[in-house]
Amino acid sequence: MQGCPHAEDPSESRTGLTLMFLALKEMRRAAVRFGLLMASIGLLVFLILFQQTLQSGLITSFVGAIRNQSAPILVYSVDGRRNLQGSVVTPDLQNQIESVPGIAQAGKIGQGTFSVTAGGKLTSTAIIGYEAESLGSPTTLVSGRLARSKGEAVALASSAGDGFALGDTVTVEPGGLALKVVGQAAQIGYQASPTLFTTYPTFEQAVHAANPDARAPLPAVIAVSPVPGITDTGLAARINRSVPDADALTRAQAVASTPGVDQVQQSFRIIFLLFGLVVPLVSGLFFLIVTLQKSSALTLLRAIGAPSSVLVRSLLLQVALVLVVGIGMGIALYAPLASQTIGSIPLSFQTGAVVLWSVLLFGLGLLSALVAVRRVLHIDPIEATTGAGLGR
Amino acid sequence: MTTTASSHRQIAPPALEMTNVRKVYPMGDDEVVALDHATLTLGSDEIVALLGPSGSGKTTLCSIAGGLLTPTAGSVVVGGQDITAYNTKRLAKFRQETVGFVFQSVNLVPFLTARENLLVVNELGRRTGKQQARSRADQLLEELGLSDRRDNLPSQLSGGQRQRVAIGRALMNEPELVLFDEPTSALDTHLGEQVMQLIRSEMKSRGTAAVVVTHDERIVHYTDRTVRITDGVLHA
Ligand SMILES: Nc1ncnc2c1ncn2[C@@H]1O[C@H](COP(=O)(O)OP(=O)(O)OP(=O)(O)O)[C@@H](O)[C@H]1O
Ligand SMILES: [Mg+2]
Repeated sequence: MQGCPHAEDPSESRTGLTLMFLALKEMRRAAVRFGLLMASIGLLVFLILFQQTLQSGLITSFVGAIRNQSAPILVYSVDGRRNLQGSVVTPDLQNQIESVPGIAQAGKIGQGTFSVTAGGKLTSTAIIGYEAESLGSPTTLVSGRLARSKGEAVALASSAGDGFALGDTVTVEPGGLALKVVGQAAQIGYQASPTLFTTYPTFEQAVHAANPDARAPLPAVIAVSPVPGITDTGLAARINRSVPDADALTRAQAVASTPGVDQVQQSFRIIFLLFGLVVPLVSGLFFLIVTLQKSSALTLLRAIGAPSSVLVRSLLLQVALVLVVGIGMGIALYAPLASQTIGSIPLSFQTGAVVLWSVLLFGLGLLSALVAVRRVLHIDPIEATTGAGLGR
Repeated sequence: MTTTASSHRQIAPPALEMTNVRKVYPMGDDEVVALDHATLTLGSDEIVALLGPSGSGKTTLCSIAGGLLTPTAGSVVVGGQDITAYNTKRLAKFRQETVGFVFQSVNLVPFLTARENLLVVNELGRRTGKQQARSRADQLLEELGLSDRRDNLPSQLSGGQRQRVAIGRALMNEPELVLFDEPTSALDTHLGEQVMQLIRSEMKSRGTAAVVVTHDERIVHYTDRTVRITDGVLHA
């Protein structure tokens, strides 16, 4: 020992090498088996990320218009059930809202669904009109500018191909009101239809074009902003307290409580829960079976002096490797698909979801290996001496 | 060579000194006395046959001598090292460094080749550098006539070849004492004799002591001394 010319640090490198030696040799010899496990984990991770992206795309196409507009607080009528389409704010209610102290600015927002000819085709389109630019205009402009005068509109960027491209003119039917697309904004869809943001007067014109007999439309919500020193939640609470018929929501609340959003999230949550359970279940079971299958080899190694910690760490190294490669494969599959459009739902790469799921599944996967670890720790080296299975 | 070995024998401590060893297994409310007042001393390069019928306590004795089992009473000294009071952890280290085992049943790791089954011993103990371990493994495999089989997995080897790899594995850590538990029972007569010949020459060329467990009288010709055991009691 003392004469050894390149004596390394004894304990650390020693166990490290043993770990690699055992873990990697076994994985190489059983490449198909371990490869299949990695592939199935990869596939599951891909499905999870894809579903997550689909959910996010779906929700964005439903309520992107609320999430990505500038007003911090939206005040609905209580009867409106937190739905732009159901909410109507009467002049009287508007007065009550605007008289609540703490409001810096207030403005009307109107919304309606219209039949519009775009690109030679008749489509159902949401038009959202705002009175003040800081209270309801889209915040995710990707080209052009905001609508300022009558006959101008900002369109949902992803519907450009359907005749809503920059410079296109769309016509509100049957009145024939022409709207020119002067800007494009990302993720401002409403109810999964092509969406246009206009000034309030343009919105009123559109209502008239759709139904000449209609009276001047009432706004769906009153957008308000707080004076300095008052938070959005604080002002919303104050409005709700002093105006019984008003339902004031911050932007985030308005997104989350739009009818349908919650149901979508709930159904996806169940899918995610199932997937989140399946991944650790698959890896946990796999490693338990592998451990049981090689228990006589593990017993032998223990008998010839392998500490159980070496065997446990070798196992955990395999689990970690399988999870990292599997998750990596899932992300690699997901990345190119994440920028596609599924039907009318544009998808986008969800970095947050990728990080969250990677960490979560890695942790759960390691945890699930504890059953196999327990087996390894319970191996009694004396069992190597029994002649069982020799057929004597 | 012979003179060095015998003069060496005088200085070196006995390979094994078991004194009044008793082993009792609990069996429900009852007890089984597997070994009773067993006293056995092995010279540093002595090969002893342990002969006895099934259930007589042969494996129990080997397990105690090899630090896999602790005795109920008595003391065990291997190569001058008193292991009687060792805890689990120290026993594992002792097994790793001081003894070699050839077990009755499973002896090889199925997902490692013949050569790797030898090398893993060095990985566990890291006694020497990688290079030295490799040449030692190759030399052992050569001596055992397995040079052309070194990259085969156990499943690709015959019973006799597997047993020879097991012998190589048991010698890999340069043990003071090698314990062979019925090394020939799974082999036919001819192969069994070959393996015994090999065991004898490997032990003698290294001056390593060995206990060879058997219930086959013919094995006795390959050992220096025979110790008989019946119902846990040793007879010279
Ligand atoms: N773990 C145990 N628990 C209870 N009794 C045991 C245990 N191990 C061995 N015995 C008993 O101790 C006695 C000696 O067993 P041992 O395995 O040492 O015999 P052996 O001589 O090796 O037999 P064989 O030739 O069949 O291998 C037997 O009666 C056996 O039943
Ligand atoms: Mg036995």
